[in-house]
Amino acid sequence: MLKMKSVSKTYRTDMVETHALREFSLTVGEGEFVSVTGPSGSGKTTFLNIAGMLEELTSGTYELDGKDISSLNDRERSKVRNEKIGFIFQSFNLIPELDVFDNVDVPLRYRGFNAGERRRRIEKCLDMVGLMSRIKHYPGQLSGGQQQRVAIARALAGEPRFLLADEPTGNLDTNMAESVLDLLSEINTSGTTIIMVTHELTLADRAKRNIFVRDGQVSDGPPELHFAAAANA
Amino acid sequence: MELGPIFRAMLKAKAGYILIALQIAVTMTIMVNAIAIMQEKNDAIARESGMDEANTFAFSSTSFEPDADMRSLVEEDLDTIRNLPGVRSAVASNSYPLRQGGWSEGLQLEPDANSSDSIGSAIYFVDEHGVDSFGATIIDGQNFTPNQVSFKDPESNTWPAYGIVTEALAKELFPEEQTSVVGKTIYLGDNDPINIVAVIDRLQAPWQSWTGVERSMLIPQRRLGTYQTYIVRTEPGYRDELMPQVEELLANSNKGRIIRSMTTMDHVRMRAYLDESAMVTMLTFIVTLLVIITGLGIVGLASFNVSRRTRQIGIRRALGANKFAIMRYFMVENFIVSSVGIATGGILAVLLNILMVNAFGLQPLSWYVIPIAMLVLWLVGQIAVAGPARRASNITPAIATRSG
Ligand SMILES: Nc1ncnc2c1ncn2[C@@H]1O[C@H](COP(=O)(O)OP(=O)(O)O)[C@@H](O)[C@H]1O
Ligand SMILES: [Mg+2]
Repeated sequence: MLKMKSVSKTYRTDMVETHALREFSLTVGEGEFVSVTGPSGSGKTTFLNIAGMLEELTSGTYELDGKDISSLNDRERSKVRNEKIGFIFQSFNLIPELDVFDNVDVPLRYRGFNAGERRRRIEKCLDMVGLMSRIKHYPGQLSGGQQQRVAIARALAGEPRFLLADEPTGNLDTNMAESVLDLLSEINTSGTTIIMVTHELTLADRAKRNIFVRDGQVSDGPPELHFAAAANA
Repeated sequence: MELGPIFRAMLKAKAGYILIALQIAVTMTIMVNAIAIMQEKNDAIARESGMDEANTFAFSSTSFEPDADMRSLVEEDLDTIRNLPGVRSAVASNSYPLRQGGWSEGLQLEPDANSSDSIGSAIYFVDEHGVDSFGATIIDGQNFTPNQVSFKDPESNTWPAYGIVTEALAKELFPEEQTSVVGKTIYLGDNDPINIVAVIDRLQAPWQSWTGVERSMLIPQRRLGTYQTYIVRTEPGYRDELMPQVEELLANSNKGRIIRSMTTMDHVRMRAYLDESAMVTMLTFIVTLLVIITGLGIVGLASFNVSRRTRQIGIRRALGANKFAIMRYFMVENFIVSSVGIATGGILAVLLNILMVNAFGLQPLSWYVIPIAMLVLWLVGQIAVAGPARRASNITPAIATRSG
């Protein structure tokens, strides 16, 4: 369970203060599939970064799995990221110098699994995303859709409780986007909590719950989305 | 650890790593051989002359009165010096170790022997105070007695029948002899027989770079030329105050000569090994410079790699790497490059050393130089990479979602 209460995030540069999140409150329960939409610059990525502990919050409280994470040090934060959270990024973010196998291996090595366990997990996840045949390929040799599937395999290999995705289909064409969404739905069905940022309403529609962010705050959202969500339920 | 993926990632961008490994290899090669040369020079510099160098000084006296009575002049001088408080012993001779100029003779075991069989030795003309003034210790036989000392004008070429040899010279003359060489006769120059009356532990010839530097012979004779060299050995701590005192006393005692080249043995040694010291200083400088340049090269490559991988470092952090894991990545990467360079350099260093031993007669490498050089270069590498690695560890994981 993920619980944010009155979270604010302020970016300070020499000249300006940007309030990326203000009094942001949200609770996401176990097994939910939440889509986050909102205009560009509204704070969606900031929210996701704080949720995924990539950034620290300025004020407010954030509990993950019932634990206040504000007091954790770097080592502990890294461990939580490694064990409980999987990330999927818009630009795939595979490591270009490593082949598919080694890319999926990255978080597993930080986890400290032995070689056999790592191999078993890597093969299982690559099989699930349908890319076992590309195990020795480098990211540069794969299409965008394939890269994103490898990234999903990498995010899932550690069997995280939460999957955070920032515009996972932003760089993909419609067909590929659909198949990635199919994959995410399947993952959610098997119990993983998913929070997905997107600006495409048709994709947001596939989530079980939609939230709308405006000016760094959770807002009620545009009526058509509520309508779609209601119709879906 | 993640040796496998780190190594595989390095293979994807080989050029920079190969250049640095090569630089480390060259540094290792030069460093090891420079150390070998420095060791040889330092060993040479550290060789003992046999004299009590810290408490000994020397000077020359030149008479410019053509018919001066050199015999009594030298006797008076030596009396004056020997009676000064703080003087342990003094002798008039022709030269002393490390002076670079002296007298040598070929020695043979048989009269009329083929001169190519002769063994070269330095000759020091002394009286019965010679052994003590030169700081030598008699290890076999007896010192000269006063009545064995003869006096000769410079033109005369008769040799006294006695000699004291260094142990090194005795071994060279009689390599088979197990017991004593005292009492044996050797032949010098035009078949003059010389009876060995004693063996001293050590007294170097005046030429420190001569291979026979340890071969010297004391001859009990005073050669009465106008130019005399005095060697004065003092009690510990008296040298510096005695030098001006002696100079003044002698200068005043006889206005018909000049005292020159008043010098401590420390200074003589310093001047004799000037080339060697300069070489050691230069090599130290070169090796230090090379190590610094290599260190900077490593800093450069690591900084470049950190910038090049900014995004991937953020991604790794997002995937669960803590700061230490990021630092370790760059340290391990450096360890791999360094190891390749050090291993290559170790082989090259040994090959170059073999070449130098064969071509220039350098002494072979001491076994411990290579492991020490390895350790130094590994350490330099790790220190050099620490800064960039630290910077890498401070890259924020937020990079992964920002700047797509
Ligand atoms: N590192 C940063 N420094 C300063 N301002 C930032 C930084 N990151 C984001 N912002 C600002 O915070 C606001 C919210 O950004 P973001 O969360 O990326 O929005 P979204 O993902 O919804 O487009 C924007 O105004 C953005 O310019
Ligand atoms: Mg965004």
